[in-house]
Amino acid sequence: MRLLYAEALKVRTAPRTLIGLALGLVALAVLGAGSTASSGPTDMPQGDANVTWDVLSVATTGVIFALILGILVVTWEYRHGTITQTFLATPRRERVLGAKFVVALVSGFGLAVLCVVVVLVTATFWISLDLRQEHWELIGRIVLASALWGLLGAGLGALLQSQVGAIVVVFVWFVVAEPLIAAQFDHFADYLPGNTLNRLTQHGTVGGIEHDGQDYSFGLWAAAFIAGAYALGLAALGTASALWRDVN
Amino acid sequence: MLVIEVERLTKRYGKTVAVDDLTFRVTPGRVTGFLGPNGAGKTTTLKAILGLVRPTSGTTRVLGKHYRDLDEPTRKVGAVLETSRYHPGRSGRNHLRVVAAAAGIPRGRVEEVLELVAMSREAKRRVGGYSLGMRQRLGLAAALLGDPELLILDEPANGLDPAGIRWLRDLLRSLSARGRTILVSSHVLAEVEQIADEVVIVHRGRFVTQSSTAELASRASARVRVRSPQADRLRELLTGAGMKVVEMNGGALAVSEGTPERVGELAAANGIVLHELAAEKATLEEAFLELTGGETTA
Repeated sequence: MRLLYAEALKVRTAPRTLIGLALGLVALAVLGAGSTASSGPTDMPQGDANVTWDVLSVATTGVIFALILGILVVTWEYRHGTITQTFLATPRRERVLGAKFVVALVSGFGLAVLCVVVVLVTATFWISLDLRQEHWELIGRIVLASALWGLLGAGLGALLQSQVGAIVVVFVWFVVAEPLIAAQFDHFADYLPGNTLNRLTQHGTVGGIEHDGQDYSFGLWAAAFIAGAYALGLAALGTASALWRDVN
Repeated sequence: MLVIEVERLTKRYGKTVAVDDLTFRVTPGRVTGFLGPNGAGKTTTLKAILGLVRPTSGTTRVLGKHYRDLDEPTRKVGAVLETSRYHPGRSGRNHLRVVAAAAGIPRGRVEEVLELVAMSREAKRRVGGYSLGMRQRLGLAAALLGDPELLILDEPANGLDPAGIRWLRDLLRSLSARGRTILVSSHVLAEVEQIADEVVIVHRGRFVTQSSTAELASRASARVRVRSPQADRLRELLTGAGMKVVEMNGGALAVSEGTPERVGELAAANGIVLHELAAEKATLEEAFLELTGGETTA
């Protein structure tokens, strides 16, 4: 418990990074939600409800901040060399990393909640929100995905230990490598980490048409499970790497 | 019980051997200087003792256990490693609060150690703006948080000005007087000879010697410094009498394996004028240089 407190204290006492991330997130959310909502109700039958979907899709961009914060929670200790002091105080390294993973998970959760709230509040300036059960489900999935992205980032950070390295790997994988692999191996595409995580944050309509997920190899819960397995798998690899490697 | 045991420790990085079959022990309640030139493997050894570096072979134990198996290590062992590093955006006080939180140490202790290292006034500033000396003090404060019985300090005087070095020496003395065991590494013997009861000397990762500081000092052979306008003649006479003579800067002769009395008598008997005759005690520094083959950056 005290390790969790110490890890949370580390995040809170590095205010510039945290404020920078939160401000970036809020700015993105306000601009995105504002421009989406101000484009007004579409001519579609469901009017504001459709715009609500689009506004919520803006909130999904917040997951990138969860990913980056997850990476930072682990790698800034290596970057600034404070990992030495951390491992001196708690030589059971797996406990330190466990606490960091929990903090990354909770931070991802918190950032997503912040993002959804900002996006919805911004949107009310232009449209009347019509939140139905499906919307709440999507919000729940965004929050879950964001927490998992945070954990994934922390796991990758523990594995690579390099801040720049982890961020480069993330972009190369999710922006270049995964789409290429998905295009090459169609039957395999649904199982890739980016795709499983992205499915969690997609809403039930695609292009205004109800989408029941039957084009996918498996359902939403299975996607959540697979995404969780990726995040936990990386966390386990990261822990093994931290246990094995010397601290220099 | 032994406080630190290093048993046949070897650490290789690729083809480089940083520590080579090193064995030594640290006994409780004493200040032990851990000496060697830069690159002798001191930091690697300390990191192995502290469980940060995995030995290639051999073992290290602290208070009878592997560091990893210690309960509440912060309350038993305090360590300051070379160039302690911090998150630059965090204040000194917050850095200590984080360490205290992880070790379950009450927050009030943070103010006590800040006072102890004379950093209370700077504690709310961001560490990014600290001088090297202030960082060293903050590192010591972190090491002292748990009021540990053993302190492991890697080159703690680095970056301190003369007043700071004196302050450090006084602090270590007072800790030692309160029964704490201290292992302090340095590449400059002069830094630790005033406070160390014992020294362990390493060179190129290998054990050179372990002895009390007094014993090491007595091993440093005494010599005689003599200056004469008839230096060449004197030199012949001294060498003839079985003494070893080396010419020093400024034309003086350094005579070993002789006493000032014998040198003076020999000169008088042969009518040689002397301008200077003095007994010189070789310093610990010279003994150290002799043992490590003269390699040092000091």
